Amino acid sequence: MTDATSPWARTAGSGPASEFPAAPHLAPSRPVYDGRLGELYAIYLRHVVLMILTLGWSRFWGRTRLRRYLWNHLAVLGDRFEYRGRGRELLIGFLLAVVMLAAWGGLMWLVWTYVFHDKPFSSFGILDIFSLSVAVIGFPLAYVGHYAGLRYKLSRTRWRGIRCGLAGSAWHYGMVATFLTFANAITAQLLTPVVSVNLARPRISNARVGTLPFAFAGAASDIYGRYIGYYFLNIAAWIAAIVAVFAILGGTTSEFGVSTDDLLKLVTEPSLRTILIAAAIAAGAYIVFSLLILPLRCWWQAYLFRYLVSHSRAGPVLFASAITTRQMWGFLVLNYLIVVLTLGLGWPWVMHRTLKLIASELWLYGVPDGAAIGQPAHRGPRFGEGLLDMFDVSGV
Amino acid sequence: MAAARYYDGVTAQVTEVGVRATASELVIYRAANFGAADPGPTDSAIVARWPVAELAVLGDAVHEGAPPVVRRGGEARLVVEDAALRRQLASLVPPLAALAAAPAPAAQRVATLGATLAALVGLFWLAVDYGTEYAAPWLPYSLQASLGETVFDELVADKDECHGKRGLAAINGLANELARAAGYPHEVTVHIIEGGPVNAFTLPGGILVFYSELIEQAKDRAQVAGVLAHEIGHVVHHHPIKGIARQYGIELLAKLVSGGYSDLLNTLTSGGNILLALRNGRAFEREADATGVALLEKLGLRADGIAGFFEQMLEKEPGDAASAAGIWSSHPPTRERIAATQRPATGRPAFSDADWKALREVCK
Repeated sequence: MTDATSPWARTAGSGPASEFPAAPHLAPSRPVYDGRLGELYAIYLRHVVLMILTLGWSRFWGRTRLRRYLWNHLAVLGDRFEYRGRGRELLIGFLLAVVMLAAWGGLMWLVWTYVFHDKPFSSFGILDIFSLSVAVIGFPLAYVGHYAGLRYKLSRTRWRGIRCGLAGSAWHYGMVATFLTFANAITAQLLTPVVSVNLARPRISNARVGTLPFAFAGAASDIYGRYIGYYFLNIAAWIAAIVAVFAILGGTTSEFGVSTDDLLKLVTEPSLRTILIAAAIAAGAYIVFSLLILPLRCWWQAYLFRYLVSHSRAGPVLFASAITTRQMWGFLVLNYLIVVLTLGLGWPWVMHRTLKLIASELWLYGVPDGAAIGQPAHRGPRFGEGLLDMFDVSGV
Repeated sequence: MAAARYYDGVTAQVTEVGVRATASELVIYRAANFGAADPGPTDSAIVARWPVAELAVLGDAVHEGAPPVVRRGGEARLVVEDAALRRQLASLVPPLAALAAAPAPAAQRVATLGATLAALVGLFWLAVDYGTEYAAPWLPYSLQASLGETVFDELVADKDECHGKRGLAAINGLANELARAAGYPHEVTVHIIEGGPVNAFTLPGGILVFYSELIEQAKDRAQVAGVLAHEIGHVVHHHPIKGIARQYGIELLAKLVSGGYSDLLNTLTSGGNILLALRNGRAFEREADATGVALLEKLGLRADGIAGFFEQMLEKEPGDAASAAGIWSSHPPTRERIAATQRPATGRPAFSDADWKALREVCK
């Protein structure tokens, strides 16, 4: 890890990496996850039961309890993480976000009353204006919420009794993320490496364990070659998949002499047999799709993950991952299917699998100097995740 | 192997320590050897002395792998990985009793909670599907009317409403007569919007909306009266508010069952919810058809208008979109509705000649 190919060797003497002395010993270690699926399910089912009984208001405490379990069963260098957030903090954060949205609604009402009402735009109702404005601000706000939510989670995370944290402005991140996502959309996703690296950088380099900052030495140019290859292979795979699906479907329908009207009737008045056939066709289409498209995507995502991890460090501790395309398929595709096919009840299984994957595929090289890492003066935000809860409730 | 790990709360330094409990304090000390060869706390090796009265166990002692022990108000932590030592400390030091907490076997809890969850989901579903049947009439009328007026304002914001007084009086008079005949205790208001489509609908709070094209294209007054009676059927059965409550209820259930975590599930269930709403829609339409015909017959009015209106629709569109759409349709197949509402052309007319003329000219 200290040879000339290391990003840290390349940036030595300049940038964030130069702040840290070269690590004399790069002893490898991996995180340890000792959570049990049965325990996790017991906590999760209790959470869901309480959600139904309280019509969702218990979610702040349920989420906190799950985090406490997951954090405390993950250890790095023999020391477990702690999650010290409180359900009350999440509730207040949510209520603040509701107040903020209500204030926005009031502002939109004023705009409607004084600008649009009884004007040429009278057909534009107050609900139209509110919905449109929320759609416009919702996109950047979701990014702001993600960053602020990460800050809250890290500020409530302790390792060796030391609080973690996230510096930087969530609003700045929200603006950058919105701009990059928009730019990527209008350039047919050709800016994906720029987006990936530039959105990873603030989240990694602003992260702290106490007074120890993380650093990130990635650059979009490093991964462009691989991405362009993936981009065009992906287009070719889509074409091949579509042709294959049409050939299979066309052949099947003509072989059985099924007309368009017959198909319409099957769709609108489905029998059990039709539903089973539709499920079989969907499974077939999924297999074609997953054989051609998803491995490519997982190949790219695994590469990106390895790149981002290996270009991050925390003081003298370097990181690496050897996650494979197959493991990424398990993470991205199988986890998705587990959640969908179990109607959400597979969520603890997905969390369990994810933490096991992290524990098996994340390598740390080196040991931090504990005496040099101090407790930060700042305790982090008082309340958390209101915006995240409002715009996106995914993820523990 | 160390018995416990001590973090001073100032730096991230780890000290492997032994722990001794006395009646008044917990002594945490650094030692070279643990176990039988442990020399115990010597003055130079003592890392911290925490008064028993100030001790606390943080977090969820039942589920956390090794819940930290702290001195209240301090940042320092003692993490006891050794389960036997945790139990020992719990028995010796009352404030640390939580360290001995052991959950019931996970399989037993999962089975109990899973059964509870299944029962709750079933009860919630029943409450939503059948509870609304009984609860909807009890929802304060002012709230229903306020909701209906808001939706109406939104819907007609860019449309022109017809204001012909005599025509509006005629249709509102018949609407309220039909509603009273069904025992509906509130005022019903009919609005007529200029233009198409050939349609009418009902909003919460007894608000009915007709499009003028429906009146213009109706072959006779019995058809308009039939459609009006059908809409009154929706009003007296509180269909609009039941529909909203059921849709919202099932959406809420999906969110709750997914634990508030899965957007994927919410997306998936919203598709199922649409199908459910459409199924409800078809049931509501059948009920409104039956009630409409019954109300017209009860008042001695011509009751063949509903079937007549459907026949006219079928003539215009022989393919019958509702039938073609099957489970994706909000309305039952038109032929089925004609068969169910077919009545002889007997009874007195719903509108006088003058009222019918005024209604035809309501937008002029």
